[in-house]
Amino acid sequence: MNGILIVILAAAVLIGTFGAAISKNPFDKLIYLSMIFAGALPFIIEKGYLDMAIAAAVIVPVTTIITLQAVWRCRE
Amino acid sequence: MTPVFLLGMILLIIGAAAVAFPTKKTYLTRLINLEIAEFGLLLVMLDYDETLALITFLTVSAVSTFIFVRVLEKKECERRGCN
Repeated sequence: MNGILIVILAAAVLIGTFGAAISKNPFDKLIYLSMIFAGALPFIIEKGYLDMAIAAAVIVPVTTIITLQAVWRCRE
Repeated sequence: MTPVFLLGMILLIIGAAAVAFPTKKTYLTRLINLEIAEFGLLLVMLDYDETLALITFLTVSAVSTFIFVRVLEKKECERRGCN
């Protein structure tokens, strides 16, 4: 993969990681998690695992929705 | 050492530290922080070309998150009386 592309995607993943680890609001954390996923998906595609990319694109939002339901149900 | 492996290891370490020492000590914070570490393990598996392990891990982690959410939500709501 192109060098500049790797730097941009790694920056997206790292910003998402630090944001999710530091922020306190659960909604913010879920948005940062989506940012991590968006940065990690091109690495999967670059390896050529398109079936894996399809499975991840279906499963990760479902996990987010399940967690979102819990956040909404038991908010402060 | 490829960039994907390095990125996965960084995510794994930060995610584990965030689960162990969260900013707000609630179960939801820990559960969401756990997903950071899951993404790190996913990237490490991707670097070693373990396709079957990757798909299995992704699916099982989603199912386990579902079960964790159901159980912990029920317990927390009983404690707080919000339902």
